[in-house]
Amino acid sequence: MLRVIGVEFKRSLLMLRRYPMEMVGQLIVITMIFYGLFLGAQYIAGPTAQFGDRLDALVVGYVLWTLALFAIGDLSWGLMNEAREGTLEQVFLSPFGPGRVYMARNVAGLLLTLGLNLSILGLIMLLTGVRLDFSWAALAPLATVLLGAYGLGFLLGALALYFKRIQAFLNLFQFVLMFLIMTPFEQLHGFFRAAGYLLPMTTGAGQLRALMARGEAFDPVVFGLGLANGLLYLVVGLWVFGLAVGAVKRRGLLGGY
Amino acid sequence: MAVLVAEGLEKTFRSRGKTTRAVAGVHLRVERGEVLAFLGPNGAGKTTTIKMIAGLIRPDAGSVRVAGRDPHRDPWALRQLGAVLEGNRNVYWRLTPLENLEYFGVLKGLTAASARRRGRALLDRFELTHKQNALTQQLSRGMQQKLAIAVSLIHEPALLLLDEPTLGLDVEAAETVKQLIRELAGEGQAIVLTTHQLDVAQQLSHRVAIIREGRIVAEDRTATLLARFSGDQYEIEVEGELGEARRARLAELGAQPLNGRIVYVGSPEGLWAVLEALRPLPILRVEKDRADLTEVFLKLVREEAHA
Repeated sequence: MLRVIGVEFKRSLLMLRRYPMEMVGQLIVITMIFYGLFLGAQYIAGPTAQFGDRLDALVVGYVLWTLALFAIGDLSWGLMNEAREGTLEQVFLSPFGPGRVYMARNVAGLLLTLGLNLSILGLIMLLTGVRLDFSWAALAPLATVLLGAYGLGFLLGALALYFKRIQAFLNLFQFVLMFLIMTPFEQLHGFFRAAGYLLPMTTGAGQLRALMARGEAFDPVVFGLGLANGLLYLVVGLWVFGLAVGAVKRRGLLGGY
Repeated sequence: MAVLVAEGLEKTFRSRGKTTRAVAGVHLRVERGEVLAFLGPNGAGKTTTIKMIAGLIRPDAGSVRVAGRDPHRDPWALRQLGAVLEGNRNVYWRLTPLENLEYFGVLKGLTAASARRRGRALLDRFELTHKQNALTQQLSRGMQQKLAIAVSLIHEPALLLLDEPTLGLDVEAAETVKQLIRELAGEGQAIVLTTHQLDVAQQLSHRVAIIREGRIVAEDRTATLLARFSGDQYEIEVEGELGEARRARLAELGAQPLNGRIVYVGSPEGLWAVLEALRPLPILRVEKDRADLTEVFLKLVREEAHA
């Protein structure tokens, strides 16, 4: 499996290199956003500003937003492109199976996006001399949010595999993501608070807010709940994706677009 | 042991209240080193059958065994299968040939190093080494098709499925691909070949299976099938005048002079009697009418349609 992650990482890197303008554009946007944050332009962090107004909180919020958007949409966009270009069936001919291949592709994509963001962040820190007072405890809830995001990614991937054209739906999902990450369910009461533990990504996002915006201590119980929530959504996402694979094979829909 | 055994494959598609029976009880068997030409008109069920063999479409009934393993139950059966599918790019156009070979090699279970090593050997064999670092989208259609075949062979599968491998290629590129298929079969590769170019099928195949409306209407060795559909008609060309007496004798034997040729329809023994009647005129040519695969195909497909 590591081999597949390795070769997917290489493929993603090569594909990125083959679209030089897109890569340059991406680098410029990331650099400008981080630089803007460092200069104090908080509004640039957009929907992530609710993680706190300290620079480290803004940076973590922005990285989380970028990664979650990527985790949710990348698989579906990839499946739609491959169905259109005619490479999807070759990927399905792998003995590893589509679930594992696309999981490997997700991990490779995550590493690449994270690597790109962290490299630019490091460079800007070096150039400006600003040091972030980054709490490593924030990584734990961040990971649980990403698990849930990948679960949603597989759910949307299942739709993309079956219906092939879900672009409009994917664009709409940005608002769903914004709702899930921005709504402070952890500060609500009763039903809504309970709902927060059941919805994807909300528990991790809430813990991140508690740590970074309100300066609360790391709560291992909340982390456990967030982890369970993330894993549950990932398992459900993979399961539904597997069902979609079975359905398209039964109905002969794999190659069409 | 046969490399491919497909038994009783059935597939019906249902869409918007409409039911289409695409494949109805197909049996196929391919041995090592054998090329099976799988022929049929559009919509006959060829691609559905090929995709059921490749594990890409699940059959409603029947079974597939590739090198003894079922690709629908055991994903590692796909390790023994390579496919070039029609209407697909099959490879990433934004990657170079060598990068494609490495990527798909690893996806088939090889290590990156062995995929690269084998990829270089295949590029060399397919005369693509000089293009190994060019982007695939910049290659000619023929080169792209050769690369797709190379990619399907990267993991040395027991069975190769080639869906219209010469479609859209110019004469030279088609000849190269045909030569490659011949060589691969010669080395023991089992190949299922679907094509609408029946001359290609005739040149390359050891056996032919013809499918129509989801059913196999003929399956035999190519030579046997051609012989079966060849008529008992002989054409003889001689030098000089036949003369009245000889014409009368030929008519008695059932042979008829026609446009400078003598046409005889009958048994091989009868042919010797005709030749005896022509003695001592110099014989320029004796030829038995031989059907080609196009005639066989059209006869079978039309007969079935009228049945």
